[in-house]
Amino acid sequence: MEFFRNPKINFVGSMKGAFTVSMVLIALSLLSLIIHGGPRMSIDFTGGSVLQVRIDPAPAVGDIRSAMEARGYDGVQVTEFGSEDEFLITFVNPDTEAGAETETLDAAQMLLNDLRAGLGDAEIELRREESVGPKIGNELRTAAVNSVVAGLALIVLYITVRFVFRYGVAAIIALVHDVMLTIGVFSLLDFEVSLQIIAAFMTIIGYSLNDTIVVFDRIRENMKLRRKESYREVINRSINECLSRTVLTSVTTFFVAITLYIFGGPVIHDFAFALTFGVVIGTYSSMFIASPVLVWWYEKRISDKKRMSLEM
Amino acid sequence: MNRSLQYRAGLTIVVMLLSIYGLLPTFKALSISGEEREAAKENPERLAEIAAIDAQAIRRGLDLKGGMYLVLEVDQEGMNATEGEDALQRVKEILYNRVDKFGVSEPEITTFGSSRIVVKLPGLQDPERAKNLIGKTAKLEFRLVRGETELQDALEKVDAIFAGEIPVDTEEAAVETPEDLVDPVAEPGTEVAAADTADAANPFGDLDEPAVEEVDRAAMLAEHPFQGRLIVQQGMMGGTVLFVAEEDVAAMQVMLEDPRVARKLRDLEFMLAMDPMTMADGSQIRALYLVDAKATVTGDQLTDASAQSDPDRPGGWMVAFSLNNRGAREFAKATGDNVGRFLAIALDERISSAPQIQGRIPGGSATITGGQAGFTHAEASDTALLLRAGALPADVYIAEERTVGPSLGSDSIRMGVSAALYGSLLVMLFILLYYRLSGLITVIALISNILILMAVLAQFDLVLTLPGIAGIILTVGMSVDANVLINERIREELRKNKTVRASVQSGFSNATRTIVDANVTTLIAAVILLMFGTGPIKGFAVTLSIGILTSMFTALVMARLMLELQTRNQGQTKMSI
Repeated sequence: MEFFRNPKINFVGSMKGAFTVSMVLIALSLLSLIIHGGPRMSIDFTGGSVLQVRIDPAPAVGDIRSAMEARGYDGVQVTEFGSEDEFLITFVNPDTEAGAETETLDAAQMLLNDLRAGLGDAEIELRREESVGPKIGNELRTAAVNSVVAGLALIVLYITVRFVFRYGVAAIIALVHDVMLTIGVFSLLDFEVSLQIIAAFMTIIGYSLNDTIVVFDRIRENMKLRRKESYREVINRSINECLSRTVLTSVTTFFVAITLYIFGGPVIHDFAFALTFGVVIGTYSSMFIASPVLVWWYEKRISDKKRMSLEM
Repeated sequence: MNRSLQYRAGLTIVVMLLSIYGLLPTFKALSISGEEREAAKENPERLAEIAAIDAQAIRRGLDLKGGMYLVLEVDQEGMNATEGEDALQRVKEILYNRVDKFGVSEPEITTFGSSRIVVKLPGLQDPERAKNLIGKTAKLEFRLVRGETELQDALEKVDAIFAGEIPVDTEEAAVETPEDLVDPVAEPGTEVAAADTADAANPFGDLDEPAVEEVDRAAMLAEHPFQGRLIVQQGMMGGTVLFVAEEDVAAMQVMLEDPRVARKLRDLEFMLAMDPMTMADGSQIRALYLVDAKATVTGDQLTDASAQSDPDRPGGWMVAFSLNNRGAREFAKATGDNVGRFLAIALDERISSAPQIQGRIPGGSATITGGQAGFTHAEASDTALLLRAGALPADVYIAEERTVGPSLGSDSIRMGVSAALYGSLLVMLFILLYYRLSGLITVIALISNILILMAVLAQFDLVLTLPGIAGIILTVGMSVDANVLINERIREELRKNKTVRASVQSGFSNATRTIVDANVTTLIAAVILLMFGTGPIKGFAVTLSIGILTSMFTALVMARLMLELQTRNQGQTKMSI
């Protein structure tokens, strides 16, 4: 079986169109982020408590919410989780001066006790309980930002060593593009960004990079082999030569991500969603963003004639 | 077969045998059914056998097994660095003692940074009880209860501090309180002054029946924020006549913890009872005692404590304890000097009971009965355990907690494993269709990859978590990618009309560079996660990092070996790819 035999798609030619589409999507992401006041952080970063409970008999979501609000939990979130009798109750620590200073003694337990008191006779099974104090929340936020930034920096360094600097820059532009769009989608759909989602972001970065490097590797090879062709031609040829592999890998990874999304259960639902979205966007960006950026760079900076004297 | 081929074949066989050997206990552990485990609980020999197998199997994380992860912050305020470090270490040891006796298998307690302790309790059934045990300071004190002579003065002093300061919730004030319960203390002065004239032998003798008046509670609360929330109730409790409605306890606690109160009251202190009492009408009230600020005897003189059934209360339990020589002497003296007075037994600044001293108690043995309702067996044995393990040298707060109930743990593992299985099967089917015989080689490499990865987890005692399963799934993706790169390159070479053998050779040499570059960059991302990430992220990074290495091995060594063996015939012109 074979999907593509000698494809001759003009990727570089559709560069302008792709850039426009990406710019519009990034603008939408930014707009959503501005409207929502930044990404919606989970309690991992804000501090707060989450209870996952199974309640028998199952009450209505609204009943749980009003029972909790009656006990002073303003802004408590209640959602069904996976099945009709299972609920996720989230309470973010109020963002006050006092809240940032005092550590909670046992916030989740208080929340659970209040839930029990508020629902009276219903039987409540505790499935999961998470509670993050404001201090740890801040630390986790710093650690998450550090890990993404350090990851990106080291990756550029590695690509600069293995290829040259401009390849590193092109790869990073594609990565920032991917992460921006994923954060944007999370913001648009009002999903929470948690520690798990940061792990998904790093995975998307790794995956998208993997894709980009496979193409770059081919470009480097073809630059040496086909010295008579223009940058445009070489880069376009390289993307086409890799197309079969790119699509095949993307399809299989997409299979895996989507089965995780469908069968993985509600706990990793958002994680799997981020992965699935990232696979699509990562594939797109390595073909339509990373490589065309190289074309743009070459054509601005280095004439075709001069290329003869360049290593790659 | 040439040398290099022999060498690589040997390596592959050794790695695969080692992996299967490393995974045997895991397979064994999986084959033991839930009923078998339940049945083994009766049979200690079989239980030990199963435990030995489990110990060698892949360790499941708290999210898959159920359990509790706690980060505790030790309050080191007012301590210097050495004292802080010392307190941290002592808290850790005491926690270890407490948790150990609580009966959780394989608890992990480690210090983290200069002020934190991480507690991991796998397979925990009752998180509430565990947290109670861990977070309690377990400070045992005996304090003499003060009589009515000091009471009025103390009440006035506390009110003076807060008068006009505490905002009065008008809604709260408007609540009709049952009149037999609440004495609005309209004129508190006269009320308690009446007690002053009461029979000296009966210090908390009958007060005048409180006059039931319509009082503007709001105005009264503004002037007497402390007394206004008190209920006077005669004859319910030896040692005090003051009670607090359960809904007022929190507000009361805030006032009592105010540092100005301690300054003003000097050698006295108000202390609430540990448990509320339920009144006939269903409302709940809690006793409030005025006690000496200084303890008569403290818990560090305690040598032993145990739960015993309470002879006075059928079905009830109490905590019996004994004191060391010094404690026994102090206790004997204090009881001898204060016959007829009440001695409050305070656990963590809450009074569990305040019995009247009948006479001198020599020998240093006594019992604690649990308030009005008595202790249940669990409460009595937990209290005894806390007392034996010792008091924490500092306050401890829960800074982070992640608990997964056992039922969710097994649900997650079922879903995670089935998702991994479906995903992998789908991918393998697709690869088989696409590459046929070479696809089969890819599939064998994929399965080997997962086996080696699992064996590494089992052998190095790493923990498999739910995000870890996600990492394995991603590894499958990476592994497929490496093999796709190889197969595509070989196809390309074949299209150039090279011989099969040459195509395989140059296909691999071209693909290897790409695979290494791609995998190393992903490895960078994974290692960064490993370094910076905590909890859920770490589990993901562990399996991903190992998976990248194993997938490079299976693609570049194993798959290559199989392809070369399959195409080693010089004249071969056709290849199933």
